[in-house]
Amino acid sequence: MNQLTLEQVLKMIEAAERWARDIAGSPCSIAVVDKAGAVIAVHRMDGAGMATTDIAIEKAWTAVAFKMPTLMGSRWLDPRNIGKLLGDHAMGMIGRGKGRLCFIPGGIPVTNEENEVIGAIGCSGVPSGVGDISDTSVSQAGVTALYE
Amino acid sequence: MNLEVAKKLLQTGIENAKEMGKVCSIALVDENGWLVALHRMDGAPIPTAEIARDKAWTAAVFRRPSSEVSAYGDPRVPGFGLNVQNWNDRLTTIPGGLPIWENNHLIGAIGVCGQTPREDVLIAKNILKDIFAEEKDLESERRKPRKKYGRR
Repeated sequence: MNQLTLEQVLKMIEAAERWARDIAGSPCSIAVVDKAGAVIAVHRMDGAGMATTDIAIEKAWTAVAFKMPTLMGSRWLDPRNIGKLLGDHAMGMIGRGKGRLCFIPGGIPVTNEENEVIGAIGCSGVPSGVGDISDTSVSQAGVTALYE
Repeated sequence: MNLEVAKKLLQTGIENAKEMGKVCSIALVDENGWLVALHRMDGAPIPTAEIARDKAWTAAVFRRPSSEVSAYGDPRVPGFGLNVQNWNDRLTTIPGGLPIWENNHLIGAIGVCGQTPREDVLIAKNILKDIFAEEKDLESERRKPRKKYGRR
């Protein structure tokens, strides 16, 4: 599997939507981009805020651009972590990437069997901080569905 | 416009495009121009996704097909210069965006991009025809010129 097809992407998004509706219980936007960061599909669930589509796309773009979950980057950018991390903080990353970088947790890269990044999924609109329910968990439900 | 309707329209559109042997991007926006759903078919060029969204936005906020917005570029028409005003990144006058009406209410708009403008409009019209067949008939009835008071 070298690249994501629209069918695979829709399967991922459907699963993530189901998870958001049935388990997280909050409407959200879900976006999937290919390995070049180009949008393949975006869905905004009924009731999700109108800005969430763009944020979901940006999270997915950031995840594929750095080949890691945006959750990781959010740790670097957290001012509470200055001086605590092994490396340095990464405040200089704010505003980079032509304004497209978004280090809010919720974007996850999608990898194939050879562990190469073939795309990313991003979710926005789920309030985080309540147990396992967050944007990241919705994205994870989507990634899991790809290999079911 | 809700996601249920948008998915139905997108599915119809992608089947339609596959029948024609074309690849395209299709965007659905709500009545205020905000994105609801966007699909880019396998093999469609990368910028088509964003252009489809632009077309849908233009159709939704101007409440007319995106091709008709270019009439504002005609110096004989009031509002000349709107198309070159550059007040909004999304404004486009490329044909391919159509507003979606339901019972005389604007519920959203569709934007198709990927082929020549003529084929984009054809795909968009086919989608709306399949889904809103009865409304389209009403529309054509209403626009029929009345012969009774016509010029002799």
